Amino acid sequence: MKTNFFHITPSGWAGIFFSLFTILLLPSLAGQLWLSVFISTGCFMLAAGGVAFMYSRLGMVSLAQVGLMGVGGWVMLRLNHAYGLPFEVNLIASGLITMAFGWALALPALRMRGLYLALVTLMAAGGLEIMFATYQFPNGGDGFWGVKTGSAAAFNRPALAQSAESYLRYVAVIVFLGFMIIEAHRRRAPGRAWALIRRSEAAAMAAGVNVTLYKTWAFGIAGLLAGIAGGLLAGSLGLLDDGTFRASESVMIFALAVVGGAQYWYGALIAATLFRILPALLNNWGVDADLSFVIFGAGLLHAVITAPDGIAGQIRGLVISLVARNQKSENT
Amino acid sequence: MQRQNYLNWALYVIVMALAMWWLGAGKPMKMQGLFIASGLAVGSLYALGGIGMVVLYRATGVLNFSSGAAGAAGAMSAWQLVEWGIWPPIAWLACIIVALAITLFYGRLIAPRLAWREPVVKAVATLGFALIILGLVSFLWIDDPRSLTLPTDKIGVKFLGLRVTVTRLIVLGASILLVLFIWLFLGRTKVGLQMRSLANDRDLSALIGIPILRVETIAWGIAGVIAGFTGLMFADLIRLEATVITFMVIPSIAAAICGRLDNLGLVLIGGLSMGVIENMLTLSPTLKGVRPIAPFVIAALVLMWSQRHTRLTFGER
Repeated sequence: MKTNFFHITPSGWAGIFFSLFTILLLPSLAGQLWLSVFISTGCFMLAAGGVAFMYSRLGMVSLAQVGLMGVGGWVMLRLNHAYGLPFEVNLIASGLITMAFGWALALPALRMRGLYLALVTLMAAGGLEIMFATYQFPNGGDGFWGVKTGSAAAFNRPALAQSAESYLRYVAVIVFLGFMIIEAHRRRAPGRAWALIRRSEAAAMAAGVNVTLYKTWAFGIAGLLAGIAGGLLAGSLGLLDDGTFRASESVMIFALAVVGGAQYWYGALIAATLFRILPALLNNWGVDADLSFVIFGAGLLHAVITAPDGIAGQIRGLVISLVARNQKSENT
Repeated sequence: MQRQNYLNWALYVIVMALAMWWLGAGKPMKMQGLFIASGLAVGSLYALGGIGMVVLYRATGVLNFSSGAAGAAGAMSAWQLVEWGIWPPIAWLACIIVALAITLFYGRLIAPRLAWREPVVKAVATLGFALIILGLVSFLWIDDPRSLTLPTDKIGVKFLGLRVTVTRLIVLGASILLVLFIWLFLGRTKVGLQMRSLANDRDLSALIGIPILRVETIAWGIAGVIAGFTGLMFADLIRLEATVITFMVIPSIAAAICGRLDNLGLVLIGGLSMGVIENMLTLSPTLKGVRPIAPFVIAALVLMWSQRHTRLTFGER
């Protein structure tokens, strides 16, 4: 097993090149407005990666991912305004706390089949929406909830990344690491257990796999990524708005993860791009942004019924057929 | 097993009663009554949504997230018709018909393509459909404060010294009658029998010659009518806003979970108690702000309680 653990697939190479591009070139190419758009796209890509991985590897549907991002963001802001700890410490804390929080939420459902997890997480998303709307996000005020009126207190960005350009690089590196975490798990024992569970929970259990443990594990990873994504998003502007973390957004990011192609890393990229950029583009073109709901919904139906690998799967098919045609013409 | 079930029911009712007593303690009787009355109305809405969901899920295996969206589309159409000066009863009927048409459209044209997939995939597909409807409805009717009122809002009935509007009585009555009606329908009619057999085993039912498509269409029809009625009542009692009505499915799910997606009586009890507890939380100064969470907390507790001894549930098969 050791030998193929570090094996890099063609899609992996594409991912590495894309990360290098976003780290080295993109920040200097983008204007101020686009920088913040790209930063939030990166955050949502990380979160989408979490749901997509759970859906494609285990068939688990989580409809609370954006809500969990909100939890991560809340923890990040809370810690930032309470103690002067470095950004990285806060980020790790927000990831871990969100992971634990996600476990607590999903506990009633993790022992049950997929449908119940979808229901419970949807309820959790609804509950979190209410919590955020009621208590808002900390902005330097007093008390546990830390909310004050007026302008927010200063936010400590990471020492490495004070400017928007360097923060985009920072986000890109962390998103890359997040996807590496998923891939590393997939190649070790958890990945094999997940593959078995995906086939049949009963068979996995008969083979001695601790089904509940590995499902919980997967949900934990998704929660961790959501928490980190939320923490990073909080770092983008230094404040958060409860409108970002509505239940409908959680539903949307899941829908888009499926539309984009849950199996592949670029599926998450497509999902986040559609999520952040399509509504803005529609607005620019003078089309009502509500129509993006229609497009996303139709895309989800289409993906579920006929194209299980989503847009990413179609791109992959196209690339593979192009390569095959090239090789053929070289041979003749 | 049966006895255990009754014990669980009794326990649930006792816990809910205790919670209500605790929340209402020290408050005047009249105030408590007021909150219970409005809570029952809200709870009936949750229960109605949950009942529609469970009836459809049992018969077709589809958990329909789009029922709220269908109700929203219906309520908005009704509002539009009233705006155009059409005789209101026709508008109310139109609400139900629009929701029915939308639900049947999905049930006849899209659901059969997914008939053999896992339940969670079917549920996810309805989510896509819900997004489409929500997008179209918010596109057609841009965000604007609207309201829909029924003449029954103005008629009040004195009941134990409290004035209760007839609309609230209607939703409460409708949810109770609906449970009775569906119980009789499933137990006494041929289609009901066929539905129960589908709920048990779809493949075997097909083998013994049950007209699956017909039975499923009837189930979708029932779900559509319930969705339309719930949407109309929700618009009247709570708010006429497409997003809010669409995501009303979330507390409805909580009610459905209380009945473990199976038992309509429990869905009704669950929905009603959630509504009442949610409303009575207003009396508590600390929990006032988060009261809409009550249904989710109750549903999560019910789930945890109901599977405390199981290691893993495999569903039916």
